[in-house]
Amino acid sequence: CPLSMFFRKVFLNSFSGVGKSCLLLQFTDKRFQPVHDLTIGVEFGARMITIDGKQIKLQIWDTAGQESFRSITRSYYRGAAGALLVYDITRRDTFNHLTTWLEDARQHSNSNMVIMLIGNKSDLESRREVKKEEGEAFAREHGLIFMETSAKTASNVEEAFINTAKEIYEKIQEGVFDINNEANGIKIGPQHAATNATHAGSQGGQQAGGGCC
Amino acid sequence: MFGRSRSWVGGGHGKSSRNIHSLDHLKYLYHVLTKNTTVTEQNRNLLVETIRSITEILIWGDQNDSSVFDFFLEKNMFVFFLNILRQKSGRYVCVQLLQTLNILFENISHETSLYYLLSNNYVNSIIVHKFDFSDEEIMAYYISFLKTLSLKLNNHTVHFFYNEHTNDFALYTEAIKFFNHPESMVRIAVRTITLNVYKVSVDNQAMLHYIRDKTAVPYFSNLVWFIGSHVIELDNCVQTDEEHRNRGKLSDLVAEHLDHLHYLNDILIINCEFLNDVLTDHLLNRLFLPLYVYSLENQDKGGERPKISLPVSLYLLSQVFLIIHHAPLVNSLAEVILNGDPSEMHAKTEQDVQRSSAQPSIRCFIKPTESLERSLEMNKHKGKRRVQKRPNYKNVGEEEDEEKGAAEDGQEDAEKPKGTEGGSKGTKTSGESEEIEMVIMERSKLSEVTASTSMQEQNTTDEEKSAAATGCSESVQWSRPFLDMVYHALDSPEDDYHALFVLCLLYAMSHNKGMDPEKLERIQLPVPNAAEKTTYNHLLAERLIRIMNNAAQPDGKIRLATLELSCLLLKQQVLTSSGCIIKDVHLACLEGAREESVHLVRHFYKGEEIFLDMFEDEYRSMTMKPMNVEYLMMDASILLPPTGTPLTGIDFVKRLPCGDVEKTRRAIRVFFMLRALSLQLRGEPETQLPLTREEDLIKTDDVLDLNNSDLIACTVITKDGSMVQRFLAVDIYQMSLVEPDVSRLGWGVVKFAGLLQDMQVTGVEDDSRALNITIHKPASSPHSKPFPILQATFVFSDHIRCIIAKQRLAKGRIQARRMKMQRIAALLDLPIQPATEVLGFGLGSTTPTQHLPFRFYDQCRRGSSDPTVQRSVFASVDKVPGFAVAQCINQHSSPPLSSPSPPSTSGSPSGSGTTSHCDSAGASLSSTPSAAQSPS
Repeated sequence: CPLSMFFRKVFLNSFSGVGKSCLLLQFTDKRFQPVHDLTIGVEFGARMITIDGKQIKLQIWDTAGQESFRSITRSYYRGAAGALLVYDITRRDTFNHLTTWLEDARQHSNSNMVIMLIGNKSDLESRREVKKEEGEAFAREHGLIFMETSAKTASNVEEAFINTAKEIYEKIQEGVFDINNEANGIKIGPQHAATNATHAGSQGGQQAGGGCC
Repeated sequence: MFGRSRSWVGGGHGKSSRNIHSLDHLKYLYHVLTKNTTVTEQNRNLLVETIRSITEILIWGDQNDSSVFDFFLEKNMFVFFLNILRQKSGRYVCVQLLQTLNILFENISHETSLYYLLSNNYVNSIIVHKFDFSDEEIMAYYISFLKTLSLKLNNHTVHFFYNEHTNDFALYTEAIKFFNHPESMVRIAVRTITLNVYKVSVDNQAMLHYIRDKTAVPYFSNLVWFIGSHVIELDNCVQTDEEHRNRGKLSDLVAEHLDHLHYLNDILIINCEFLNDVLTDHLLNRLFLPLYVYSLENQDKGGERPKISLPVSLYLLSQVFLIIHHAPLVNSLAEVILNGDPSEMHAKTEQDVQRSSAQPSIRCFIKPTESLERSLEMNKHKGKRRVQKRPNYKNVGEEEDEEKGAAEDGQEDAEKPKGTEGGSKGTKTSGESEEIEMVIMERSKLSEVTASTSMQEQNTTDEEKSAAATGCSESVQWSRPFLDMVYHALDSPEDDYHALFVLCLLYAMSHNKGMDPEKLERIQLPVPNAAEKTTYNHLLAERLIRIMNNAAQPDGKIRLATLELSCLLLKQQVLTSSGCIIKDVHLACLEGAREESVHLVRHFYKGEEIFLDMFEDEYRSMTMKPMNVEYLMMDASILLPPTGTPLTGIDFVKRLPCGDVEKTRRAIRVFFMLRALSLQLRGEPETQLPLTREEDLIKTDDVLDLNNSDLIACTVITKDGSMVQRFLAVDIYQMSLVEPDVSRLGWGVVKFAGLLQDMQVTGVEDDSRALNITIHKPASSPHSKPFPILQATFVFSDHIRCIIAKQRLAKGRIQARRMKMQRIAALLDLPIQPATEVLGFGLGSTTPTQHLPFRFYDQCRRGSSDPTVQRSVFASVDKVPGFAVAQCINQHSSPPLSSPSPPSTSGSPSGSGTTSHCDSAGASLSSTPSAAQSPS
């Protein structure tokens, strides 16, 4: 029987323009194709993925626009099983702020929260300000997973989200997460079996559109 | 129809994007909409895709060509969206439509485009549409939609949402109905929406009046009740806990409470006076005072009133003071805690409250009479309300409160907080603070047993005086029951369960930016860095020192967090800008505690390798992670009685030690803390810790004089295969790899330097000329692993050089560690252990210069104004690097390589200070250079 899980995830990044909402849209809704004269993103999205033969539903919430309210960012960290910290490889200032965010994330979140570090806009190699090695070193020092992505070319976008989900899934298998505690951002249960079926159905019927949910 | 249109729409993706993103294509999509006004099973996919495409074109138009908006508006295309929505077209269409709307509003950046979309009130119609909120996904998309809209609020757009004439503000009122939704993400979104609304309302008087008069009381009273209910659940969770089983749930409830406090604080710092008055009144009189503060008092009093237990109450109040800094709120709250509450003497029962509810600011924690949704509904149809009113309403006062006209309401709300303030102002007479000071000083001489009772008496007289001074006719004696409770909790001899919370509360109050310093001065709890204080609260200081003394006992039940907080508070009390004002007697007690802590560590001092690592690791983690009280008070685990077992997952500093290793760690920490405190209070600098100071070490790119130093040439092959020629040099604490300095003969540039103590050396199986060398950097955070800064194979010119290098490194490592152990011994005033010589590690040379390390570890750099430190330095004079070298050169004459080489040092505890050979008592610590020839 398919196991349904909800992971809630958060994008954390105090800078606008690093392209996280584009990443999110790219991942959750394939119908919006990236084109050069259109920048488009979303702050909330859901998608079913399959890991280890199990159907898993990802709900992804973006913290965008709420940075001025500490209470809001705080709560987001807490309800999430995983987080993606995104910086822009063409803007060093976005990279320099990572330490602060990480400190916040570690402090406010469940200590088991999976954190992935993402250097976005890898397509803009000529304008690169942050070396890949720097991202790797930062991730290694702080125990994060690291990846460079591009929302424009869709490079590594799938991988970034799915690897984060896999990591969470592994932690669940190891028993690190208390799955009975919904505050961790994980929900498992037969009560969603029905919803699952619907998801699967709409997924199948929508191949041309490639839509989600 | 379905198939054809679908391919048309879908096929567009393959072509140039210009075709899809154009006015023409929008016209075509409009055509599709007009042909499909009814949603059917057959066309729903088409409609969804059409709406999605329209959205995409609109966003594209916003960024590239605004003419699409003219068409969109001209054709009233939003109506189609609404029409589809209203047809009960099912979950799938609903979700898709909401998602599309989300994307649309999120990506529109031009104000004019936004006005187009918001005009005609269609968006408000969508907001009030009755979606199936039982569906999790619809709920999520709906609330995200509202959140997105709220982020678009500003002075101009607000008029599309708030209608002054009809008093309608759907975005806000619909959102707050979900304030207690079970799904946390929904609640977060609601909070975001309200905050965005409040932020805009500051500049919009009409809207502000609407929010305050029509929604503030119902919303805040429900919110406060919601928070309070969680608190009672939290308390219940603590009370019913067995074996720490409730920790998971408890931590959620605590986090929830924190979320609320942060949210309230975010509202308060928007600084909208109107709202803040209402909110402060509700928080104080309906939650903080009746539920939190009154619970500090004797638990048996107060009848049926809802109560929480003392630790929970202290804990939550600390959180309040740590997070909320709104002056009127924190001062009123502190006033009651510190000075008692005159209104409390009236001891209202539930019935009294109901009878006298016309009076503002009744302090009780009661459920709002009606649900938020109903209140909002009632407010909308205000005229009809009297008819609806029934005589048997439980709380008539509340009802009336809401019914009052806007103007009247405003007046009353403004008065409420003043009412609470009023009481406090009366007690502030000028001479009072001095008087209390004197009394407390006297008090401290008395035995502690009577302390709290007599203080109560004293306070009573004080209050009487002040009451008389303000002309208050009340002759009721009222005390400071809460403050008494606070002090009493510090006295608990068995454990520090309550004490930790009390210290946190005192800390939080004194660090609160909104707090009036005068208030705290009356209990002589100074704000940090207060100028010109000459005295401090002796009662408190004595209790703090007692905690420290207790912590230094072998079986002390004081947790490290409590100790650290005590140190912080004591420093705050006695350190002034001009120096330390601690009384000699208190300093002597403190020194006693420090002495105890030295004894405690001595007990655990062992020659084993691991002791050094623990010692340095504890120092590192203590200095790198100084106490953050706010973080401490976020941890729910301290709410449960202190425990010793690490199996609970509780942080080491927040529980008691378990087993010998943890007892050692704890003893080391207590020693560090009390040592640091004692030095600071005596105004002396730390000269001995850390054992290795970054600035004393050789760093990459340093240029060293290597004339007469022993150097071994080698090829260093790193893991990635790169190969470099270097000279290996061994210093007292470090090994370094150098290359010749081109500008000065005999000098070398350091290319790598690493601590010998963290080094592992192993031979290479099939190559007698090679060694594998790894140096790890200690982990800097608990989330990262120790990270090798060097991992390489060293190849020497022949196997003799290889053996020499291996021995030198091995012995260097042992020596480095031993030297540090001896410095620890000196710190602990332990008798000097004879420095044992490492086998085969002799001094072959006779000229003193040859024994100098590359760098001097200059004694004076460590400063030594501290007499005790000085003593210990002298006691171990020959154990101090540099000094040792200079002193002992001629005492030694063991020939080089006279003994068999020691075993490989790879991690084995070889040659520990106490267990290894003591053959040459009094022998010096030989410095690193040996007689081995430099191959260069």
